[in-house]
Amino acid sequence: MHHAHIDKFAYQDSPVHRLDSRVKFLVVLIFTAVVLSLPRTSVSILVCYAVGPFTILVLGRIPLKFAFKQILLVSPFILVLALSCPFYDRNPVSAAFGPFIGQVWAGWLRCFNIVGKFVVTMLALIALVSTTRFADLLTALRKLAVPKLLIIQLGFLYRYIFVLIDRAEHILRARAGRKLRSLGFKAELKTASSMLGSLFIRSLATAEHINIAMQARGFDGNWRCLSKLQFRRYDLLFVLVSAVFMLVLYFCVGHFLQ
Amino acid sequence: MPKAIEIENFSYHYPDGTCALSEINLSIEHGQRVALIGPNGAGKSTLLLAMAGFVKGEGKILIDDLTVEKKNLKRIRRTIGSCLENPDDQLFMPTLFDDVAFGPLNMGLETDEVKTRVNNVLQTVGLAEMADKAPHHLSAGQKRAAAIATILSMSPQIITLDEPDSSLDPANRNNLIKLLAGLSQTLIVATCNMNFAFATADRAVLVNNGHIIADGNAKRIMLDSDLMIKHGLEVPSITDNWIRLPRKSISTKSE
Repeated sequence: MHHAHIDKFAYQDSPVHRLDSRVKFLVVLIFTAVVLSLPRTSVSILVCYAVGPFTILVLGRIPLKFAFKQILLVSPFILVLALSCPFYDRNPVSAAFGPFIGQVWAGWLRCFNIVGKFVVTMLALIALVSTTRFADLLTALRKLAVPKLLIIQLGFLYRYIFVLIDRAEHILRARAGRKLRSLGFKAELKTASSMLGSLFIRSLATAEHINIAMQARGFDGNWRCLSKLQFRRYDLLFVLVSAVFMLVLYFCVGHFLQ
Repeated sequence: MPKAIEIENFSYHYPDGTCALSEINLSIEHGQRVALIGPNGAGKSTLLLAMAGFVKGEGKILIDDLTVEKKNLKRIRRTIGSCLENPDDQLFMPTLFDDVAFGPLNMGLETDEVKTRVNNVLQTVGLAEMADKAPHHLSAGQKRAAAIATILSMSPQIITLDEPDSSLDPANRNNLIKLLAGLSQTLIVATCNMNFAFATADRAVLVNNGHIIADGNAKRIMLDSDLMIKHGLEVPSITDNWIRLPRKSISTKSE
């Protein structure tokens, strides 16, 4: 398997990596809520908010190119939503960007606001995932009383998504090896459905085998795991710095920049 | 002393009626190293699953004097550790440490005891440095060793391995052979790789079409080229002093 794992930098060592995963998770959650709660016309202030996740990425030695690549991967969905804004909201509003003041459609402000919020919150999420091992993240969720079933499902999703991608790649390769001409839409659709069916059946078989492996090791429905998290003064400092950063931006800088 | 495994007249049919195992009689002593050999679809994996109570058929299976039935399954699965063919099915936790700790935690052991077992077992299989890695970051050979570690941490008396050598390169296969050679437990290995069976077992049970065809000394059975070829297998290419042993001591059901 040679996939670009979303957490491929999570196994590095840095001050950010050493932070308690519960703390990182809660800070990112609150940061995301704060950014999303900003007015729909706020654009400039988002640049200030981006400083937070940027700092975490730099301190965690996560290449910014990697972060932006991840953002680009999921951006089409948001871009469609954002770019549709100027079409249905054409009310002129005055907007200031540094010394430049002019009139633009309100839809454009909404568009930049959506894109800005998306980029900033995604950066925060990538900073979290890239500096925290998934197992620690699951432990954090468990400690924060997230339902057990959801955590088990997330654990399996993380464990087997790469196996599934690998199988899908093999099937696609097998098709490419024998598909020597264009088959036409109908035939392509038929082939695709057969491939999906094969993938589904193999996934079912895998699920059955995993169930056997779990039962063979005494699984009785209760998920038992060893916790390795530790809250230290260092984590408290991170919480305080993050809180001050968000409060200053929200209540002070927010009044001057929109 | 009770036998490690005692199987009496065990038969199993798939839901579609196909006979997977027919009138199986097998007795394995504690400490024996047995290779279940046979071609694909012979019934080897089904037999291993039946031993751990994952397949219910007609007949009787005793594991360390305990009948394989629902009320005994918890105790039986502490006695017999089953390692599946695909390590990706065996390793389902986010980290190797959690995976190896999964069994001991379900056995109700104390945290410190679990940690000690996990660290010792990972040391044994040579993966101590990889404890915090996710299974998808391990190589094929490491995954196989990790899968065995998940069983070893439960300290079972019997270990069953289904095609443990599949998709391993020669170096990793040799490492696995060395690892298995160091185990003191009763070992049952299902494989269709005769070189691997030759190197790991001292007793061979040849299974084909759901029947036991031959049961006896591993080297004697596997060096019987007629028997091997007749059942879609091959004579191991490894040669040692055993190759000069007389073939007459092989007992086959057809005789």
